[in-house]
Amino acid sequence: MALVETRNLTYTYPGATRASIREVSLRIEKGEFVLITGPSGCGKTTLCRCFNGLIPSFYQGELEGEVFVAGLHVSEHPIYEVAKHVGFVFQNPENQLFALSVEKDVAFGLENLGIKREEMRERVDSALKLAGVYDLRERAPHELSGGQQQRVAIASVLAMQPEIIVLDEPTSFLDPLSAKKIFEVIYDLNKRLSITVILVEHRLDLTARYADHIVIMDDGQVVMDGDPHDVLRSEEARLIGIGIPKATRLFQLLKADGMNLGEKVPLSSEELAEMLREAVKDQ
Amino acid sequence: MSVFSGLKFRKVYSPIHNLDPRIKFIYVCSIFAVAIMFGELLPLMALFLLQIPFVVVAGVKREWLRSMRGAAFLATFIFLTNFIASYIGAGYVFTAKILETAVAMTLRFIVLVESFSVFFLTTSPDHLGLALEQTHVPYEFVFAFTTAVRFVPVLAEEAETIMDAQKARGLELERGNFLKRIRNYIPVLIPLIVSAIRRSLELAEAMESRAWGATKKRTNLYTLKVHRGDVVLIALTALTLVAAVYARLYLPVPSLSELLKIPS
Repeated sequence: MALVETRNLTYTYPGATRASIREVSLRIEKGEFVLITGPSGCGKTTLCRCFNGLIPSFYQGELEGEVFVAGLHVSEHPIYEVAKHVGFVFQNPENQLFALSVEKDVAFGLENLGIKREEMRERVDSALKLAGVYDLRERAPHELSGGQQQRVAIASVLAMQPEIIVLDEPTSFLDPLSAKKIFEVIYDLNKRLSITVILVEHRLDLTARYADHIVIMDDGQVVMDGDPHDVLRSEEARLIGIGIPKATRLFQLLKADGMNLGEKVPLSSEELAEMLREAVKDQ
Repeated sequence: MSVFSGLKFRKVYSPIHNLDPRIKFIYVCSIFAVAIMFGELLPLMALFLLQIPFVVVAGVKREWLRSMRGAAFLATFIFLTNFIASYIGAGYVFTAKILETAVAMTLRFIVLVESFSVFFLTTSPDHLGLALEQTHVPYEFVFAFTTAVRFVPVLAEEAETIMDAQKARGLELERGNFLKRIRNYIPVLIPLIVSAIRRSLELAEAMESRAWGATKKRTNLYTLKVHRGDVVLIALTALTLVAAVYARLYLPVPSLSELLKIPS
């Protein structure tokens, strides 16, 4: 079985008349960097909440279909059991830090699990270092910038040593440079520790290059699912209104004009620059 | 928002800040008890002076003076009621004794405020939360307390943003009589409360995602250990208590006017 698998998942929030996600079937393998994107209100966040059991345990509502995460049938386990396998980073960095110091916040999950102090110390320190916020460990969360707060949130999830990290638009409160730093941290975790990453994001310009697997959602359904090179070049992806990377778009336009650029679709400006250099050299 | 600035806690290190909050609390309670035991001016003056070194060592003079100024109004009130009541009680005769009792009562109040303000000025909420946790207060309450402290600056900032937004739409906060002014704040309060509720939902989600409630036996990253300073404070507390009880039971406490031989 895949590390994360959903089968015909349909979910309606309590009091809603319409299902927020419908018939979602996905397979995510271990070690993948998955990018989920789509217009606002398409059900991305709802889907993420299914991965760690917030749906249905926290939100109630009507859930049909099944979700398996790391071998657990999610709806049959309390959230704290799923939380050991799935770390969740939310959109607003401010509302996921509760303690009065960074260090204490990173320890929060471990304290809840009843981990011994010596081990906790080690895990907290290494998580802080991985997220690049070790120097901030004694500061209060409200003194930090948004980017720093979000990195602390990532550290606090890392300390719990999950196999999967779900990040729900982690950079929408951040400036482009801080966002870029966050993505680099995430990519590093994915490569070095082979943590499976599920990232919900609109900024494909910055993230598409890292993804092994992209899922495009629209109106509660998965409309495209596959390799980013294939998915992002398609006309359909553009029409849904997702932010196709500028490099990919430029490639398509140049290609349409008959320019010979090779077959591989570029996902980042660097890739495109390389292709153009090649193309110009040939002439 | 100067109202909130007093609530923002800053990390300060001093020998007083590093004391175990539990012991500090016992100390404060003992001072409290001693202040209640004595109605005479001299021992209360001694108690008042006993706190001054704490304030100086902790380096919180400015904050401490501010809290004293805050107590000034109530202190004046206590002084006047005491003074007038005993003046009338003594048959409209003014004596040094009456003045002294009124001053003593006021000083008693000031000592209480003083000792508590020293406690709160030198104890970080983090430390306080830890102390509560280690005295087996249920973690839910401790968490509610530390989270409240954590979000004070956040909510203050938000209140400011909302006030600016509403002012930009023509809301006039500083207008009208007292009641009208309170009513003016409704358009600020409602969005503030709504957003606080939303925030609390997001917080709950984040807590759940980090294994809240996974085990009954929660562990803690920090522990409070008793250091040398704490032992000294315990000794000081015990000494003060014993001396006070002994003085109360066996020694006559002279009043200032007797000492100074002021004829009554």
